[in-house]
Amino acid sequence: MGKIIVMTSGKGGVGKTTSSAAFATGLALRGFKTVVIDFDVGLRNLDLVMGCERRVVFDFINVINGEAKLHQALIKDKRVDNLFILPTSQTRDKDALTKDGVERILADLEKDFDYIVCDSPAGIERGALMALYFADHAVIVTNPEVSSVRDSDRILGVLNAKSRRAEQGLEPVTQRLLLTRYDPERVERGEMLKVDDVLEILAIPLLGVVPESQAVLRASNIGMPVILDEKSNAGLAYMDAVSRFLGEDVEHRFVKPEKKGLFGRFLRRSA
Amino acid sequence: MSIFSFFRSTPKASAVQAKERLQIVMAHERVGRTGPDYLPMLQQELLAVIAKYVDIDENKVEVKLDRGGDCSTLEVNIELPGRDAVRKPAASTPSAKPAAGAKPAGAKPAETRTGDSKPSENRNAPSVGSVLTNGGVSKRH
Ligand SMILES: Nc1ncnc2c1ncn2[C@@H]1O[C@H](COP(=O)(O)OP(=O)(O)OP(=O)(O)O)[C@@H](O)[C@H]1O
Ligand SMILES: [Mg+2]
Repeated sequence: MGKIIVMTSGKGGVGKTTSSAAFATGLALRGFKTVVIDFDVGLRNLDLVMGCERRVVFDFINVINGEAKLHQALIKDKRVDNLFILPTSQTRDKDALTKDGVERILADLEKDFDYIVCDSPAGIERGALMALYFADHAVIVTNPEVSSVRDSDRILGVLNAKSRRAEQGLEPVTQRLLLTRYDPERVERGEMLKVDDVLEILAIPLLGVVPESQAVLRASNIGMPVILDEKSNAGLAYMDAVSRFLGEDVEHRFVKPEKKGLFGRFLRRSA
Repeated sequence: MSIFSFFRSTPKASAVQAKERLQIVMAHERVGRTGPDYLPMLQQELLAVIAKYVDIDENKVEVKLDRGGDCSTLEVNIELPGRDAVRKPAASTPSAKPAAGAKPAGAKPAETRTGDSKPSENRNAPSVGSVLTNGGVSKRH
């Protein structure tokens, strides 16, 4: 039976789609058969970040409505084995996501896949609720910034009250923090919340810290999950996070400013 | 010390302020998430009690809430009609403290406060101030 992971945040634009793409790719690279689903109905974007936008024929909603078979809508990644994408609809609205429909499709996917990664839309409305409802694991994507932290706390409250596991009194959804767009230099200057501050406030375990990185935009420009950019700090940070998710003990990197000697200034690593 | 470090050494780093503000607001939001929101009811009942003794104009009622770390203050300021307003102590309500010996103008609301929250600025109209305090930061787990 596959496990369902939701990437959620409450707040928009914090890096859920970037993280979903990276995480799903990382799990597939580690040998797990993985599918990543776009729950952001009406605002399809995961296809672009994954670089499969030209291959979308059917979508998640078509499958829910019985207009297409699941295997027809699944897009197989061209770079990584074991990796599939289930895009969302661009034309429908969030009401198209019915609980029964989502449940049916997830149940089918669970039989065939090791991991199902759900890319949640922002907010705490239907789309976000559907993305988290069936989850076994939640990755809370947060930026070191007041509104993002507060919204993450809200979404933790929703997970504790409105997920299937909460409603049925099962073991709770695991909750881990993925702190993204972290800028160690601004933290050093006292301009940005520290990892420890955010951890203290949200009181959930840390899955990883992804630094603010120009590699993210470069990767999305060319439709490649940033985790495949093995020279980038962000890519490495996602790789570490995946390892930790799989139970490995990996030290956190990129939380301190990089020392820039004379040499480092010339040979600046593509951050 | 350069001129830049002068500008940088503001009283508190902004990140520290961010953390403090988050801790306070979220402690309250977490409590509100589980318990019912009693404040609107409390305000109504408070007003109802006061209305038994004085003639109050609904439009001259000001309710302020300040959520603090160690305590919160609920301040109900009620502008009383004129000199002829009848005033008797409303002894039956524990948290409502009518202003003692009402002066016609320039009276400060009677307040009981704990913790470090700042006293409110002076008010010009005679008013009844009422204060509610509650406990501080609570954690999820
Ligand atoms: N570590 C990072 N460094 C720099 N830029 C980043 C990083 N992570 C994400 N971004 C940028 O932030 C923007 C938003 O990212 P993304 O689309 O993944 O967020 P989202 O949470 O899915 O947004 P939405 O709520 O709209 O679905 C994108 O432009 C992305 O390139
Ligand atoms: Mg997104």
